[in-house]
Amino acid sequence: MRNALTLLIALAAVTFVVLAGCKDQGNEAGSGGVTEDSVKLGLFVSTTGAIADFGLATKNGADIAVSEINAAGGINGKQVELVFYDIASKPEEAKSAATKLATQDKVLVGMGAVASSLSLTAAPTFQTNGVPMVSPSSTFPPVTEKGDLIFRICFTDEFAGAALAQFAFEDLGKRKAAIIMNQDDPYSTGLANYFKARFEQLGGKVETTEKFANNTSDFNTQVDNVKSATPDIVFAPVYYNDITLIGQQLRGKGVTVPILGSDGWESPTLLKNAAKDLEGCYFGNHYSQNDPDEMVQGFIKTYADKHGDKPSSLAALGYDVVYFVKNAVDKAGTFDRAKVAGAMRNTKDLKGVTGTYTIDNKRNASKPITMLKITGGKVEMVRQIMPEEVK
Amino acid sequence: MFLLEVTSEQIFQQALNGVSKGAVYALIAVGYTMVYGVLQLINFAHGEVYMLGAYFAYYPAKWAGYIPDEGGEKPKVPLYFIGVCILFSMAACAAIGMLIERLAYRPLRNASRLAALITAIGVSLLLQNGSQIMFGSDPKYFPRFMDRESVQLGMFDVSNTQVTIMVVAAVAMIGLHLFVQKTKPGMAMRAVSFDMRTARLMGVNVDGTIALTFAIGSIMASIGGVLIAMDQPRLTPLMGLLMGLKAFVAAVLGGIGSIPGAALGGLILGIAESVVGTWSTTYADAVAFVILILVLLVKPSGLLGKTGREKV
Repeated sequence: MRNALTLLIALAAVTFVVLAGCKDQGNEAGSGGVTEDSVKLGLFVSTTGAIADFGLATKNGADIAVSEINAAGGINGKQVELVFYDIASKPEEAKSAATKLATQDKVLVGMGAVASSLSLTAAPTFQTNGVPMVSPSSTFPPVTEKGDLIFRICFTDEFAGAALAQFAFEDLGKRKAAIIMNQDDPYSTGLANYFKARFEQLGGKVETTEKFANNTSDFNTQVDNVKSATPDIVFAPVYYNDITLIGQQLRGKGVTVPILGSDGWESPTLLKNAAKDLEGCYFGNHYSQNDPDEMVQGFIKTYADKHGDKPSSLAALGYDVVYFVKNAVDKAGTFDRAKVAGAMRNTKDLKGVTGTYTIDNKRNASKPITMLKITGGKVEMVRQIMPEEVK
Repeated sequence: MFLLEVTSEQIFQQALNGVSKGAVYALIAVGYTMVYGVLQLINFAHGEVYMLGAYFAYYPAKWAGYIPDEGGEKPKVPLYFIGVCILFSMAACAAIGMLIERLAYRPLRNASRLAALITAIGVSLLLQNGSQIMFGSDPKYFPRFMDRESVQLGMFDVSNTQVTIMVVAAVAMIGLHLFVQKTKPGMAMRAVSFDMRTARLMGVNVDGTIALTFAIGSIMASIGGVLIAMDQPRLTPLMGLLMGLKAFVAAVLGGIGSIPGAALGGLILGIAESVVGTWSTTYADAVAFVILILVLLVKPSGLLGKTGREKV
């Protein structure tokens, strides 16, 4: 009898808890992350692992934007609370961070990730839970195809690949290219394909496409194949930690033609480790530290005062993504997630540190790419290529 | 790319790359082979010893201030200092190798071989993840000891670091061969691998000899680690994983238990990978494992291995 009573009490308790849980969810339907005086925004990037530089910079940039916004009264009168997860460059961590942000922390918007492969893993979770996700810097085109709540505030690889090909062909007058790419990374293979398509359409020729796997550090085979193709430019759409070794091994085998790279090259450790080997090389990026614009220089100063070094473009995008969310909430005038997403879709001519951008009908940012050159151990701006220049 | 587009010069050039790649496989493979020779144990933690070898050469350079914290071109490190780094790395790796043997394998000396094998995998995971905590999982960049330059070798070019790898690896392998064949501890090693119980009855210090085997295998792996770090200066805590597997394949290919076999297996594997890379770099890594499968099917004892009956 006594056992039965205990059981009954336990059952009642469980039922109560479950019901309470349901009620709680019902209350929050639609609007997200809002408490009495604050609004929660999620940030998930890798601050450890193979491309930790990217995540750390993004987080630093976002932190600055959040403290500026809070100092100026917050978003819609509510202080911003940043909920942060390190996803350690691992897909399973990205997935679990997305689940935690969407279902436990119940943030208004999830911001991340940097690496496209990680954004692709996280996006479906946000989409099914009705939480908008904005990637600051995932450039792989399919990321935003995961659903109508997935956005990005950077250009896509499709645009960057074509713009870089045009830069190689028209600005540098190159005709014979060799490509070295990471076959395991959609970012790298995507850029390589878009570059090749545009370069050959313009009348150039890609002599060879050399592939390598994740964690390769011996590039001698690829380098010798590039060398026997005698290109006048090498296109290497890879991350900074790979270009350091590739540059060194290309130069070590006497391949002296310029190397053209993508935004993956951007990192404070690039010049530290590879300035000599990459002298005279070019890469396309999201912004330039030499841009005289007041907003850009203001951000650079705040960042340098706080962290001691100048912000990379990943930091700039981390800063911009928070303001992108703020702009959408301000326009929507509410914390209702669907309405905020609607305002995001209609973002037009929003000025950020990384240029003025408009969200197009595929939820991608249409914005310029900044061409940079490595000379004398420094990075200098060559010019900006506008979206309308690239067909 | 088709067969016709590749010239024989390109293939020889790639074969030369393969020799420098294979030389390092060989250095690591002897560690597998020697331990297998005395204990019939596949020491899966050996790839991690190679990784530690690279890190243990990095830290002396860092402590001596040759790796600036941020900004600027790295200072060139005086050449003699590489000697300091190598010696430190060799000593530290020998200690680690003996420690692994003492703590993980010796207590299991009389347990089933499967238990020891699982322990080896456990030690490997422990070292991989422990290093991620200790060193951090972001890559470290090894200092520049020499400027990388192209060296003309007949009609082929190799970089000076590749030449260094080939020379140092050859010297180390010959040294190891002489040690095992001509010295008393070497003779003890051979005796233990021939028959541990009889060797003990003959007054050989079996435990000491096994510890020595681990120390020497680890020293060879640390030399491999330093050479790779000079050629490809990016260190990560997981760099030993694939390297260890490939060196293991090299050891099986050459005949596990045979030191000349490990050298031969390493070279064949390195050359095969690089030459296949002339056509497709995509499949170069797969070559190692295709070779492993073929060897196991056709000649399970390996090229220079002995087909003895299984000891019971």
